[in-house]
Amino acid sequence: MKITYPLHATHFVDRSFSGLAYRLSRHITGYLFLIPAIIVFGLVAWYPIVRAFQMSFQEVSLLGESKNVGFENYELIEKDPARKVLFENSLEFASWSILLGYAVPVVVAILVREMRFGKGFFRIVYFLPSVVPVSIAVIVWRFIYDPDAGVLNELLKLFGIKGQLWLYDVKLAKPSIVAVMTWGTFGTTTLIYLSSLLDIPTELYEAAELDGASPLMRIRHITLPHLAPVMSLLFVIQILAVVQVFTEPYLFTKGGPGRETLTPVMHIYNRAFGRADMGYAAAWSVVLVIILMVFSSFYQLFNHRVAARQQN
Amino acid sequence: MDRGFLSNIELKTFKGRIYYALAVGFLLILALIVIFPFVYAFTSGLKGSIEIFKSGLNIIPRKAQWHNYSQAWESFKMLKLFRNSFIIVIGSVLLRMTVSVMAAFSLSHLRPFGRQLVMMAFLLTLMIPSIAYLVPLFVTLGNLPIIHKSILDSYWGLWLPYAADAFAIFVLKSFFDRIPSDITDSAKIDGASSFQTLVYIILPLSRSIIIILSILSFMNIWKDFLLPYLVISDPERQPITVRLFYVAKDYGVNVQMAAAFMALLPPLLIAILMQRYLKAGLTMGSIKG
Repeated sequence: MKITYPLHATHFVDRSFSGLAYRLSRHITGYLFLIPAIIVFGLVAWYPIVRAFQMSFQEVSLLGESKNVGFENYELIEKDPARKVLFENSLEFASWSILLGYAVPVVVAILVREMRFGKGFFRIVYFLPSVVPVSIAVIVWRFIYDPDAGVLNELLKLFGIKGQLWLYDVKLAKPSIVAVMTWGTFGTTTLIYLSSLLDIPTELYEAAELDGASPLMRIRHITLPHLAPVMSLLFVIQILAVVQVFTEPYLFTKGGPGRETLTPVMHIYNRAFGRADMGYAAAWSVVLVIILMVFSSFYQLFNHRVAARQQN
Repeated sequence: MDRGFLSNIELKTFKGRIYYALAVGFLLILALIVIFPFVYAFTSGLKGSIEIFKSGLNIIPRKAQWHNYSQAWESFKMLKLFRNSFIIVIGSVLLRMTVSVMAAFSLSHLRPFGRQLVMMAFLLTLMIPSIAYLVPLFVTLGNLPIIHKSILDSYWGLWLPYAADAFAIFVLKSFFDRIPSDITDSAKIDGASSFQTLVYIILPLSRSIIIILSILSFMNIWKDFLLPYLVISDPERQPITVRLFYVAKDYGVNVQMAAAFMALLPPLLIAILMQRYLKAGLTMGSIKG
């Protein structure tokens, strides 16, 4: 709501609030209020971002002077045998995460939207794992996955299936970890889809029904197109998040068995804090971030193209 | 309740009823799977140290061993772990909200020269994944520029990094932008200073958004692992998320489960008690890269 003042009143406001002294003091107070944020951001964000670039060209020594080494760190990355492993692992992690977790929240949100009672119950239940700290969830889940006494193998035994090694199995380690990640995050995603679904005017469905569209056709032609922009955004967010995953594989398997669950961030962590090779780790993080940014901008470009073509 | 893609009349037909029953069944089974780890942690925490390794699907313990819980509470020193977590999280949330509210108020109402540039610089940190500068952040905290002091192993080493949150500034600024400047102008005419305007006019009007942001921050900071794991290496000061994982291995699985279940309770309780605010905040808060 806009309050309008009588003409002479605004005139008074303008004159007394537009003097040079007033304006100067306004800018100064403005920056006084900004100072805490600027100090904090400078210290823990802007300065470290600049330092990341700087360190990637250095051999960093925590005690003495750091030495400039030019592109040596980047050349070492090119020779790093872990490079191929990390690329493959990220690709597999991302694929598993899309496979296990991408469609689930969409389906669940559509079903929950259709509930006539108990919407709130499902919403809160599915959301609960999202508040659980990963390190605590890992304590519980690694016992569920336990090859000897875990409940999962006991359950398989009921169906006559042989127990699996889960986290210690070369083939199953990634999907097992991704399953826990999906458990921990799909509730939040469901809530996002659900709130988007509630924006669909019910008249659309009514009109479609009158025109003889079957329920599946209504989902295909009304619900899914409405969700499409959110789905496309969450697709890229999910991939960016899973490529940067650290805590789950680090706590579950430390990257094992072998290097099956080694992720780029874990590699950076190992280099920086295991071997104290900060410059090399900084170069890796610069490379990783550039790859992620190139990926997301290509994805957005592609998305715009598709959207533009659909409109024509 | 109004209709979804099915009308209420369609739901009353035979096919509609079957569909609805299947949907409810699916959602209930999914809910069971989702809750299972919580229940499993609770009941495994009640089992004896031999019973827990017995084969077969025995979720419910034969005789509840409540003393596992008191043993876990004692041997993990859980009171201290919870206290550390609360000190870290509450300090971070308070600092983050103070810093963000002041910055957003300045950007939105005081509008000083060059504010677009400052806002861009804040938002830049949302576009760069934090892994990009994790290593230099650690180095910086170990040797602060200018004063050359280390705040590693002190709570400041967590409070400061958590205080910088461009997302909170962005949300608060968009909220403050919708407060008509006529209100703040009239306060100014009545002789209120900028600080008074913020405290007596803006803050009461934006209580809900501040509560939502505080709860979201509380949960995210409580959950975080990597930063406290790096910054706090003193076991006396580590939060529960870091410490419990490392000491858990030294005890029997049943005691581990009891401890894990107790550690799950505070965030769960907050999520359930605050769900009224969460519902509004989540859709806004989770689309954050």
